[in-house]
Amino acid sequence: MSAVMSGVMTSTVYVQLLDLACGALLATAVVIVWRRRLAAIIRTFAVQGAALAALAGVLAVHARDVRLGVIAAGVLALRAVVFPWLLGRALAASGPAPGERETRPLVNVTASLLAVAVLTLIAYAVSRPLTALAPSPAADAIPVGIAVTLAGFFVLVTRRRAVSQLAGFLLMDNGITATGLLTTASAGLLTEAGVSLDVLLAAVVLRALAGRMRDAFGDTDLDDLRELRD
Amino acid sequence: MNLTESALGLAVGVAALAALAVAALPGRWRPACAGAGTALAGAAGVAAGVAALTGRPFSLSLPGLLPLSGLEFGADRLSGFFIAVTGAVAVPAGVYATGYLRHSGTSRSACAFLPLFAASMLLVPAAAWAVTLLACWELMALTSLLQVLAEHRRRPEVAEAGRWYAVMTHLGFACILAALMLAGGGSLLAVRHLPAGLAGTVFVLALAGFGSKAGIVPLHAWLPRAHPEAPSHVSALMSAAMVNLGVYGIIRTGFGLLGGGARWWWLLVLALGAVSAVYGILQAAMSSDLKRLLGYSTTENMGLVLVGLGAAGLFAGTGHRVLAGLALTAALLHVAGHAAFKTLLFLSAGAVAQRAGTRDLDALGGLRGGMPATTAAFAWGALAASALPPGTAFVSEWLLLQALIHGLPGGGTAAAVVLPTAVAAVALTAGLSAATFVKAFGTGFLARPRSDGAARAAEAPGSMLAGMALAGAACAVLALVPGAVLPALARAAAMTAGPAVAGLVTLRLSGAAGELSPLLLALAVLAVTLVAAGWLRVLPGRRARRAARLWDCGAGPLTARMEYTATAFAEPLQRVFDDVLAPETGIDVTHLDEARYLVAAVEYRRRVPDRVERRLYQPALAAVRAWGEAGRRLAPGSVHRYLGYGFYAVVALLIVLTVTR
Repeated sequence: MSAVMSGVMTSTVYVQLLDLACGALLATAVVIVWRRRLAAIIRTFAVQGAALAALAGVLAVHARDVRLGVIAAGVLALRAVVFPWLLGRALAASGPAPGERETRPLVNVTASLLAVAVLTLIAYAVSRPLTALAPSPAADAIPVGIAVTLAGFFVLVTRRRAVSQLAGFLLMDNGITATGLLTTASAGLLTEAGVSLDVLLAAVVLRALAGRMRDAFGDTDLDDLRELRD
Repeated sequence: MNLTESALGLAVGVAALAALAVAALPGRWRPACAGAGTALAGAAGVAAGVAALTGRPFSLSLPGLLPLSGLEFGADRLSGFFIAVTGAVAVPAGVYATGYLRHSGTSRSACAFLPLFAASMLLVPAAAWAVTLLACWELMALTSLLQVLAEHRRRPEVAEAGRWYAVMTHLGFACILAALMLAGGGSLLAVRHLPAGLAGTVFVLALAGFGSKAGIVPLHAWLPRAHPEAPSHVSALMSAAMVNLGVYGIIRTGFGLLGGGARWWWLLVLALGAVSAVYGILQAAMSSDLKRLLGYSTTENMGLVLVGLGAAGLFAGTGHRVLAGLALTAALLHVAGHAAFKTLLFLSAGAVAQRAGTRDLDALGGLRGGMPATTAAFAWGALAASALPPGTAFVSEWLLLQALIHGLPGGGTAAAVVLPTAVAAVALTAGLSAATFVKAFGTGFLARPRSDGAARAAEAPGSMLAGMALAGAACAVLALVPGAVLPALARAAAMTAGPAVAGLVTLRLSGAAGELSPLLLALAVLAVTLVAAGWLRVLPGRRARRAARLWDCGAGPLTARMEYTATAFAEPLQRVFDDVLAPETGIDVTHLDEARYLVAAVEYRRRVPDRVERRLYQPALAAVRAWGEAGRRLAPGSVHRYLGYGFYAVVALLIVLTVTR
């Protein structure tokens, strides 16, 4: 695909593709905040992984960087396939009802969407100096990465179910990866691989933890852990 | 590489090797190895200290040993004196430990850290740079803490004592760290010229940090807890050697680093010293725990040393160089004398605690029969400690009083008020310490045993007695021929307090009127005692001798329950100092059921709590606890709450960054 596209990819096409990928990234983050059905969240998460991979791919083609291409392939495999599959397994393990919903989020959906809007504003405001450092189409998209990170953190804080918290954690990591891709011209392959492995490990551990919690408490509401303190 | 450097290196090397060997050896060999390592390191330390004291300074730089700053060692005469005293305490303590540890069966770590503790104390005065001093100081604090905790499995009080010690020593460390960093770090041997306000802050912080190690009131609270709970050879090392390093730190920062300073510094030191001396000995007089009594006595003696330091600073500030040198020499001599007799007293008290199974003076008594050698050792130590001729403390306290009295003319208004008060405090302290040690020796060792443990107590083994003998010999040298060490001390004091005094301060004071020969005094006391004893033998010989039972008021044979206990002996003193001590007494009278006017039982309780601790520490501890409880509300156990803290903190930080940029 790169051989075909590199010839045709002008500056305008590159910017449009980049913005499309970033837009998809942000839109899927908002959808994850909006939807309450856990299965739907996981599907959206897979789409976001693909958007992130596309972002890396576009950057790779523009920079003609083989290593970035390898990273894009890795991101696609990990975030669009492995993580959603792990989340699906966690969901299946956590209950007989596949349509389990995030029943009582600590902040209701409308307020959550408003909060994500505010967080996006903050992300844009705070990343102005970063953008001003080296103005480029990629640098202009940095706020999207930060916004996705903050949205992920927000999901992590406000959701009760272990699975949706896991989704929040991975969303946050997607945001961090996107910011990393957009800020650094050529991320080290080894660094990216290491970070991805870390996240994979964390996801596996959290999944196992969710299963254990279910066995122990019959539920994955994290507030039940309150009894474990002291 | 001169003698000082190689001997100090040898001491550290021997201690490290001994620690490694203890870690590797089976239990049977550990006490001998740890004790021998400590004693040998101490002996090498004495050699190094004497070499530095007699004018062989050294400096050694090890830049690669500690990241960023490296280690810098160096010793002048003053360091040499403290190294020598520390080494001299480590020798008898090490010899004693070979016997003590074998019978108390302590663990591998307790044995292994003993030589390391001794070596770290030798290194503290040899530290030439701020960071080196802090590193050695912390090493000393940690190894001593492990030693204090050695017997924590057997007695639950040990853990509490260890907690107090750990907290206080680290607060002190923080003060010293702040002081040295404010002074700019770097070399400790060069005079730093700081602005007056900053210099005052540095000095007060250093005084708090080093003073807490020396057990100065009101920072003494850990000392009467930790020193008694440690194994006795460690008590000796802590009480006779480690506290001195607090004094060393005050001299080093006050006279060396800051080069004298304002008058109020030294008035503060003098006042703290006088209060510590009187308060310490009062608490010691009330204590019925033998080792706790000795711990409070350490506070008293360090207080006397601080009186000397304060007077020296005051005199140096007003240009009286000779008197400053005299006062500082007296303080240093008292440091040496205190090290000698406190080692002896703690070692013999440890033998008593181990053999009789208790340290409670009320339950002891009658040890003279079972433990004659230990009794003799304690008696000699008690005499040395009680400021009576021919004791060790007498010489240094006499010198101190001479300095205080001769400083009166020309000292200004502050001196005219403070010095007579200090003289009174020193005199009161001397009297009270005599009463205290009469109590400790009389009720603890003489009369009849008041418990089974005391009745069954057998003499300590040879190695422990050898340790006591070494310490006793040091007491005797310092008591009878102090002239042997005084010139060297005077030179060390002259180096810090004033350049022109070297050689002037002997017991034949040329700068001030007054002369004393301890040896002749001791001979006179001995002669008078012999004549009196002989006269008492000869006198009744002329009449017929008759053996009869002691008068017992017709109440049958006297029992041990009728003896003076330590509490009873201290009761009159407690009445006199009622307002200062604020003792808690309670009397419960139980009446017979059938006749309300007849008494079935009377229960009497008395406690003399540490008043400073109650007034100062308990409110502070309560405040800390309340703060902690309030803090617990932040942590209710909800994962969401914890995650939320992070989230809100990040978002707030981002907003602040956006707004303030």
